[in-house]
Amino acid sequence: MSVSLAVVLSLLITGAQVSTSDKQTIATFEKRVKEYVKLRNQVKEKLPTKVSKDSTPEQIHAYMTSFEDAVRAARAGAKRGELFVPEVATYIRNVLRDDFKGRDKVELRKTILQAETAGVAVRVNYPYPEQKEFTEMPPTLLLKLPQLPQELRYRFVGTNLLLVDRENNVIVDYMPNALP
Amino acid sequence: MPRVLSFLLLVALLFVTISSEALFCEVFAQKPALAQNGAAPASPVKLTLPMKDGSVRFAAIGDTGTGGKGQQQIADMMIRYWQVFPFEFVLMMGDNMYGGESPKDFVEKFSGVYKPLLDNKVKFYAALGNHDLALQANYEHFNMNGKEYYRFKKGNVAFYALNSTYMDQKQVKWLQEQLALDTSEWKVCFLHHAPYSSAKSHGSDEELRKVVEPIFVRHGVNLVLTGHDHVYERIKPQNGIYYFVSGAAGKLRKGDIKRSSPLTDKAFDTDLHFMLFEVVDDQLYFQTISRTGETIDTGVMARQKAKK
Repeated sequence: MSVSLAVVLSLLITGAQVSTSDKQTIATFEKRVKEYVKLRNQVKEKLPTKVSKDSTPEQIHAYMTSFEDAVRAARAGAKRGELFVPEVATYIRNVLRDDFKGRDKVELRKTILQAETAGVAVRVNYPYPEQKEFTEMPPTLLLKLPQLPQELRYRFVGTNLLLVDRENNVIVDYMPNALP
Repeated sequence: MPRVLSFLLLVALLFVTISSEALFCEVFAQKPALAQNGAAPASPVKLTLPMKDGSVRFAAIGDTGTGGKGQQQIADMMIRYWQVFPFEFVLMMGDNMYGGESPKDFVEKFSGVYKPLLDNKVKFYAALGNHDLALQANYEHFNMNGKEYYRFKKGNVAFYALNSTYMDQKQVKWLQEQLALDTSEWKVCFLHHAPYSSAKSHGSDEELRKVVEPIFVRHGVNLVLTGHDHVYERIKPQNGIYYFVSGAAGKLRKGDIKRSSPLTDKAFDTDLHFMLFEVVDDQLYFQTISRTGETIDTGVMARQKAKK
């Protein structure tokens, strides 16, 4: 990492010193994330359809829907809190609370809450509806939250923080009332 | 009578010769011919771009994917301008598809709308907006190579498509590293959310700006094209960088610009629009055109001196 990026990042993450117990909490979260990613990648390997860098809309649609169906079947019975276990949820709530403290974040909070995400049913192992927009994740916040592999995304729906699969759009887990 | 006709022909020839040299000229669109669906009316389009040999020519559109009449009308006007200014490619600043992404949607909101351009080998390079699914990166006509953020180069210009809806640490690091290695004369970033905007609906995305602007400044990004707000705005240069908000090639928010904004050099919020660009050595020419073909903004910008 170059010096200038390190400066940018360190300025943004000022004060976010991670304690030993927080490190353990993050490790727990990362382990559960890895388990999900391993499972979804196994499912992906067996899909009858694939996408390439120059796919047709039909190929993309077939891939997305078959992937969604297969991963939902593989995780049948999945419950809220399997990735956001209580200690992870507490840690993330603290990160969010600290990040949204300043007066300059009032507008940002309003923006997230007023996004056109009304009507998104927040249910584990159900898809995020493709007709609905994604709320922009504040980049400064993404630098503070535990890093995710490319297969997963954080998303806000109202005050809920979701983990959504990048390709099949399935809601893998969520935390209610995460946003302070 | 033949003398009169000869005289008129001479005058017409003289007019075309003079006006083709002028910056603001009227051009009667005839060539190049469109492959199909391109029955453009013969009414004149007004091109302000210099059309120099060897220049980099492109168009830019934002917030297109409604599949509605307005998007189609802008596409039709783009085709008319392409006939006199054959741009090689089009940048898309996100929200390429609103409200669903079935195979039918891809046709109604993209490939059917821009078919004459696609048929004539005009390439589209997309950035993702907050209404776009990640798998659009795999769509054959978006030329994203399966990547949500990517770089490509045309002539002396490097283009960076960014995913501003999810600007995570990996993307920030990638951008930083790519720009640090980039020796291109011009560096253009295009993304959905606007670090600077005077629109009432969204306005400046300050959280995004905190992260990307230091990188843009540090590595000599010259031009930043954005959408999200459904208006046109040419921002006063910020820290030496040229910014445009161009998010109304399909959706419009009439009257959404704050009139007293200190950021604005030029704004337009009464109709849909698209943009044309031509890079000639150290000069960047631009022209912004409304749905009716009116030029709503035009100018030339000098390449900023690289920081030592």
